[in-house]
Amino acid sequence: MTETDINLIQGLREQSPKAQRTALERYGNDVFAQVARMLPAAEDAEEVYQDVFVKVFRNIGKYDAEKASLRTWISHIAYNEAVTWLRHKRQAVIYFEDREGRAEQLSDAEVEETLGHPNSETVQLIRAALKHLPPDERAIVTMFYYEEMSLKEIAFVTGSLPTTIASKLSRTRKKICKIIKMLQS
Amino acid sequence: MTEEKLQALRQADHNLRDALRMDEAELPQMPANLNERLMQRMATQEEKKPRRTVWPWIAAACVAGVMMIWLTPPKDPVSSPAPLRAEREVATPKTEKAVVEVAEAEQPQIAEVKKVKKAAVKHRKQQPKTVEPETLPAEVVTSVVEEPKQQLAQTTTKVKMQTLTEHDIPITRPENYKYTPEELAQLRKQANEAYLKWVELELEISKNNLQQTAQK
Repeated sequence: MTETDINLIQGLREQSPKAQRTALERYGNDVFAQVARMLPAAEDAEEVYQDVFVKVFRNIGKYDAEKASLRTWISHIAYNEAVTWLRHKRQAVIYFEDREGRAEQLSDAEVEETLGHPNSETVQLIRAALKHLPPDERAIVTMFYYEEMSLKEIAFVTGSLPTTIASKLSRTRKKICKIIKMLQS
Repeated sequence: MTEEKLQALRQADHNLRDALRMDEAELPQMPANLNERLMQRMATQEEKKPRRTVWPWIAAACVAGVMMIWLTPPKDPVSSPAPLRAEREVATPKTEKAVVEVAEAEQPQIAEVKKVKKAAVKHRKQQPKTVEPETLPAEVVTSVVEEPKQQLAQTTTKVKMQTLTEHDIPITRPENYKYTPEELAQLRKQANEAYLKWVELELEISKNNLQQTAQK
């Protein structure tokens, strides 16, 4: 943890408006992106974004620097707020649910070929497939591939275990492949 | 799947990473004034927030009051005779003083009482009762305090009368009883026995507890 982080946390604990502005400037964009990719509309993301930071400023006393970085801790709050919002609003969104376990039958080589070999057409198909994933799975994939977070950090954000995240990632990869195959067919 | 394998996959899954990058680029941008709005919201909430919450303190005070009432032991006249005796000692001079004053002020009345005994019985509640020493039973007359007795002697030398004190009135309430030395000794003995029994009981309980912990 850098000195500026320590000063920022100290300022937030003292409820200093200057420190709050600094935190918003430093982490605001990432939090908004995280919330926006989980929620259906930008207006919803704005509402949840505000709730996230209100919670961050109020509960900064509970933050433990030994457990996670400030960024990860804020991501954890943002993830929980977005999930809670989705649960309460009960938005009618249809996701792909692999109840019969067909995705699990796909071989690793098949999955690696689909996701690995650079192909612009496949990229578009993957983008379409990502829209059929449930928000929590999509969030995990984004955190792992785009934000390049470690399994431990993702586990802290989602409130689960690193092994659970690993198995979820593996399952989600196969699920994306399955959706792509369904879209192609 | 191990973390090393997943790290390798992260590098290998080009298509997935590209797709995510494109999606992220298309995400809605954060409004420029969103942080300002948030700070305003924080400021208004801060103003609305009450300065101090009082109700937990009130609730705690009520609970403490109820606990005090519950836990305070009842006053036992047998176990605490000293305060009662002190109260009696404080109360006695007052009444005797009043009796002396009345006796000084109403000497002619006392003289009349000597002639007509029944009249004194009628005025029992309003005036101090005066009776001839021969008519009083011996055990009732004994407990008159010395100093007021002298004063009374001065006032009633001529009429040879004795004024009744509080102690002369027959005891009707049990808490006004004075224990005899035998009774006091018996009470002490009973208290000692009770204490010994309590100690024995405590010992038995502790023995049982030890046995139970040993069995565990």
